[in-house]
Amino acid sequence: MEINIPKTSTVFSSLLRADFTTQWRNRRSAVLALLVPVIILISWKGVIKMFGGAFVLSSAIALGLVAIGLMGYSNSIARDRDKGIFQRLRVAPIPDWAIMISRLTVQLVMILLVTLCVFITGYYVDGIHLSAVGYLLTVMSALVGGAVYLSLGQMIVGLIKNPETVNSTSRLVYFAFIITGMLGGLGVLGKEAKEIAHWSPYGAVQTILAGSLQPDLWKSETTTALLVTLGYTLIFAFMGIRKFKWNTK
Amino acid sequence: MNNHEQILKVEGLNVYYGTTHAVQNVSFDVRRGEIFGLLGPNGAGKTSTLSAIEGLLNYHSGSISVAGNNNKEKPLHAKAALGVQLQSTSFQPELTILEILQLYAGIYGLSLSKEQLMNKLQDIKLADAANKKFGQLSGGQQQRVSLVIATIHNPQLVLLDEPTTGLDPQSRRQLWERIENIREKGHGVLLTTHSMEEAQSVCDRIGIIDHGRVIEVNTPEALIEKHRDEPEVIRVSRKGRITLEDVFIALTGTDIRS
Repeated sequence: MEINIPKTSTVFSSLLRADFTTQWRNRRSAVLALLVPVIILISWKGVIKMFGGAFVLSSAIALGLVAIGLMGYSNSIARDRDKGIFQRLRVAPIPDWAIMISRLTVQLVMILLVTLCVFITGYYVDGIHLSAVGYLLTVMSALVGGAVYLSLGQMIVGLIKNPETVNSTSRLVYFAFIITGMLGGLGVLGKEAKEIAHWSPYGAVQTILAGSLQPDLWKSETTTALLVTLGYTLIFAFMGIRKFKWNTK
Repeated sequence: MNNHEQILKVEGLNVYYGTTHAVQNVSFDVRRGEIFGLLGPNGAGKTSTLSAIEGLLNYHSGSISVAGNNNKEKPLHAKAALGVQLQSTSFQPELTILEILQLYAGIYGLSLSKEQLMNKLQDIKLADAANKKFGQLSGGQQQRVSLVIATIHNPQLVLLDEPTTGLDPQSRRQLWERIENIREKGHGVLLTTHSMEEAQSVCDRIGIIDHGRVIEVNTPEALIEKHRDEPEVIRVSRKGRITLEDVFIALTGTDIRS
């Protein structure tokens, strides 16, 4: 009897449809990821004059990206692993990478949605206008920045098996990023904290986002931040993939 | 169709967890049109053996061939020939039964219309539950859905890991009939179970595994016949009638396994 190996495109479209449906039905984390940056943009209206539109927009996008990578991605992976959903998928004739790429594609769409929401809110609420190149570069930087937090989320689920511990750890890291990134970045926590925050995964992403928003002001420090961002992604992804187990037993 | 054709061939399988030798030189086969039961106490190596066949476990040595495809050399071919019902099957809780069916049909490369998928649910009397979530179904209904998904691509070999655990007698009998129907269609079935009644009722052949080794492979009747006069079997027997359970306990011991 002949054995038919399903086409990768058929498999992938089935996985994508299921993953998007799951994301849609599980809207709470998605709404959180979209809502936090929008709230920041609205509540920081007064800060724009002090620090500039680029700082506020880049902070809002960076926080949305952190929420996607840490709260959304890592928790959904930890839950599905614990429930045996991955094991059920892996006994089918599909390569493991297809399962993960489908999951990541959903998160990349979420990154684009967050960026779009921030652009729209920034435009209409805060009156922040960018050039076409600025919008385009920022979308690309958001994808690069989002990769840092997705790989960080991957590292968390790689190192921690228990879904509750993954949840609490990712919340803790999220909170730490808010504190060190936003307050540290503003200089509220002192000069040293500002320097640390500047080169942290949050700060580096914020720097490249701010640089992309105003391409004319892109400087060598922004390029260094881009390299640092890529470095973080490589380290987190390497650890996350190497340590990842498909089941919790 | 040759009913003696080996649809699954496991040869000299060895699985290690660290220094623990969990599966030791295990060999057996499952033939087309046969229900083969793999029996063993907890921790005997059943699930490890099954996981190795399913391709979920990287085994140390030996070979596993599904429908002529070595599962290390041609993993996707071996998996495509397999239908699997895992011990604790879980599907995405956000998806409806119909969407889960649609997902797995797609994963196995089938383009089934909504009507065809509904017919599948009609066959298991769950058409009304098409829009329910998997978690909203009873244990018996969940097992029926799992079995439909395991066989949606008409696989040559179906693996069932303790399929009737937790089911009431009616659901269990119904599931047995469905498993027997799979055999009638000429597929091979490998099932694990703790129920000796189930093994005796539905299995054509049985392999008893303990401490990672296959102790015996035979038909349930032949196993009983071979061991019925052994003092240990007579000692553990109840009500004076030798059953498969008596033979199983005599062979694997009376100690409770963790």
